Amino acid sequence: MSHEATTAGGLQRPDLQTETPNYDDAFDAVVVGAGLAGTAAALTMARDGLDVLMLERGPAPGTKNVFGGVLYTPTIRELVDIDDAPLERYIAEKRFSILSSDGDETAISMRPGAWRDDPHNDSYTVLRRRFDEWFAKQAVDAGVTLVTETTVTGLLRDGGAVVGVTTDRPDGEIHAPVVVLAEGANSLVSEGADLKERPERDAVAVSVKEVFKLDRDTIDDRFRLDGDAGAAYQYFGEGAVGEAVGGGFVYTNKRSVSVGVVYRVEDAAAGQTPEATLDAFESHPAVAPLIRGGRRIEYSAHVVPEGGARAMPDLVHDGAVVVGDAAGLVLNSGVHLEGTNMAVESGYHAGKAIAAALADDRSDAEALAAYTRDLDQSFVVENLRHYDWFQRTIAADRQFLFEDLPRALASAETEYFKMDRTSKDEHTGAARDHLVAAAGGWFGAAKRAWRFRRMLS
Amino acid sequence: MNDGWNIVVCVKQVPDADDVTIDPDTGTLNRSDAPAVLNKPDHNAVESALALRDAVGGTVTAITMGPPPASAVLQAAVAAGADGGVLLTDRAFGGSDTWPTSLALARAAEELDADVVICGEESTDSSTGQVPPGIAAHNGWAQLTYTESLDPRPDEGVLVGTRDVEGGYERVAAALPVVVAMVFGANDPRPAGLHRKIFAETEFEPVQWTAADLDIEDRVGLANSPTKVGGMDTASPVERERTRVDSVEALYDHLAEVL
Ligand SMILES: Cc1cc2nc3c(=O)[nH]c(=O)nc-3n(C[C@H](O)[C@H](O)[C@H](O)COP(=O)(O)OP(=O)(O)OC[C@H]3O[C@@H](n4cnc5c(N)ncnc54)[C@H](O)[C@@H]3O)c2cc1C
Ligand SMILES: Cc1cc2nc3c(=O)[nH]c(=O)nc-3n(C[C@H](O)[C@H](O)[C@H](O)COP(=O)(O)OP(=O)(O)OC[C@H]3O[C@@H](n4cnc5c(N)ncnc54)[C@H](O)[C@@H]3O)c2cc1C
Repeated sequence: MSHEATTAGGLQRPDLQTETPNYDDAFDAVVVGAGLAGTAAALTMARDGLDVLMLERGPAPGTKNVFGGVLYTPTIRELVDIDDAPLERYIAEKRFSILSSDGDETAISMRPGAWRDDPHNDSYTVLRRRFDEWFAKQAVDAGVTLVTETTVTGLLRDGGAVVGVTTDRPDGEIHAPVVVLAEGANSLVSEGADLKERPERDAVAVSVKEVFKLDRDTIDDRFRLDGDAGAAYQYFGEGAVGEAVGGGFVYTNKRSVSVGVVYRVEDAAAGQTPEATLDAFESHPAVAPLIRGGRRIEYSAHVVPEGGARAMPDLVHDGAVVVGDAAGLVLNSGVHLEGTNMAVESGYHAGKAIAAALADDRSDAEALAAYTRDLDQSFVVENLRHYDWFQRTIAADRQFLFEDLPRALASAETEYFKMDRTSKDEHTGAARDHLVAAAGGWFGAAKRAWRFRRMLS
Repeated sequence: MNDGWNIVVCVKQVPDADDVTIDPDTGTLNRSDAPAVLNKPDHNAVESALALRDAVGGTVTAITMGPPPASAVLQAAVAAGADGGVLLTDRAFGGSDTWPTSLALARAAEELDADVVICGEESTDSSTGQVPPGIAAHNGWAQLTYTESLDPRPDEGVLVGTRDVEGGYERVAAALPVVVAMVFGANDPRPAGLHRKIFAETEFEPVQWTAADLDIEDRVGLANSPTKVGGMDTASPVERERTRVDSVEALYDHLAEVL
């Protein structure tokens, strides 16, 4: 048993490296979470010449993601070649629909011709499992080191400053000048390290989603689509989320349809279970035919931040920044449910700010503050501020918006289009009466119109 | 033997079983979409190799035969703690069944001057379990199959394995060099350390050996594979006969009648 490395026939011997190098401060930044925000930050930093380590708890980026919706790509387009991305369908139609619990539906649908043309209003359905993996690969190609199946469990501190992370692995601590917290809505690390408070109950929503497999042709026929065109349907009212405040959605992928509901945690705590809510939504006569015959291939649940600008934590700390959903950057205004574009935009600005700070050999909060400033001036914070009032307003008007209005609309429609032997004029009058009565008389209607004017402003 | 043993661990890349589907129309395995991962039983092989090194000293070298992406499983082994890795890769290996596969691994083990070669019980994609005995046969080395645990006796140059046999276990002492196949689930594979994992995935590079390097270029590949696949079929589940009974008495009567 001789162990001298024999170089028989000149065969190259394996290089045995028993010593493990130590990577403390070998990376300029550690990114926690390889979602949209984390990858955008990592990619931006790598392009600026930084060495970045991105840690992801899933076996691959995207495997833990449950989002079932529309990816908004204006910022991603600037970072990567989106034509190579695994996109499902572009959004050719948006449809907003009010459902009563009696089976009524009133909908408005829009299909602007412009959406059919490139870049399709930067709105695409994607399967995050595929998209996130692809996006992360672009970061890896730019030089980022991605390590998966590794959960960050806490932050390392020196004095007050964050100087690294701890993970669930043996020998699991690693030091780096800056840590980017991009862990998504369930931000246990940021909360555990006091970078943000546990969100108030009214600042988060629950969501449950299912994916149904259907033939491509069936989807095209049911939703009146051609080629890569897709549809995004949003639903409100008691028929969508029962007694809760929130909404439902149906989005088309290439060969599957995502169906889900999003509503306040408060309502779930009050006893309205996600399963029952989704079940009722899927059984509504306006929704059931869309998924009929589909095979259920996925069920998932998640939280969605909806606290708006007022629930945003401090974005920069000594040695750390918070991006994406972890920072509560989601717009959930009823008409809009947007988090993907904000996640990428915030990751981009954070990445730029970190590169600039490190170029000055600094990583303190003051040096990183450019991130807060840039985000503040971007559409992200602007939109969050603009719609801040919305959640509170609809919550206050739930009874009217979710119960009375959907029924009144249905009654008004029935009345207005009624086929009998009275005059159209009388039908119109009766229809108007239904609506005015539901709105609390003319005065009530005017008051409500005023309150909701900002929705379209 | 104070410088320890040369331990070689064989690791195979397989499609992630969670993602493999069988096309019911053609009966073929749909592997193309499934990401390639380390064969699950090989995690037990790696753990045994590392535990053996902990006990007797020496080094652990991981080897795999496969196309270049298979070096990912060498990374996994090095991340867990293996000292180095060898990728046996060559177009000439294409289409090899268990005979040439075990020949290539056997030659590599010989080249590495192995004292112990540790394998998994079987692969999750072909699951013949023939490769470990094949390696032993090609080299004329001892073998310990269906091994549950290892007890090294370095002073005697012997490795004692506890083998799972019907109705109990047996302990077999094998003289080195020896080929071991660990039972699937025999141990709890240690998770990779963070820094080691970063090393394995960024800096570690396996050496690559070709069939010619091992002097077996004329003895591997499809032409040298005795296995011929006659055909593929999927078995549909057989509908079981069912009877519903309402009470325990009725069930008893029913059983009494059937038996
Ligand atoms: C049902 C649903 C529907 C939605 N629909 C839309 C829509 O139509 N349009 C839209 O724009 N937005 C939508 N959103 C919001 C959107 O999904 C998020 O805003 C977006 O994914 C945020 O990206 P992120 O990178 O901040 O977080 P995430 O995408 O959640 O990524 C976080 C990543 O971090 C990882 N991670 C978490 N903790 C750790 C840890 N401790 N260690 C290591 N890794 C960790 C996770 O595994 C994950 O990969 C929806 C959300 C839900 C739940
Ligand atoms: C009927 C049949 C037909 C086949 N036809 C073909 C074909 O035409 N072309 C083709 O390419 N393959 C073919 N294969 C696959 C090929 O024979 C096997 O994958 C390969 O020989 C290893 O056998 P196994 O997976 O059954 O290993 P097993 O004997 O089940 O594996 C036991 C252990 O041996 C080790 N081991 C096995 N393979 C390797 C490896 N490659 N590198 C390192 N360690 C390893 C691992 O430790 C593993 O846990 C066929 C398999 C079968 C059953």
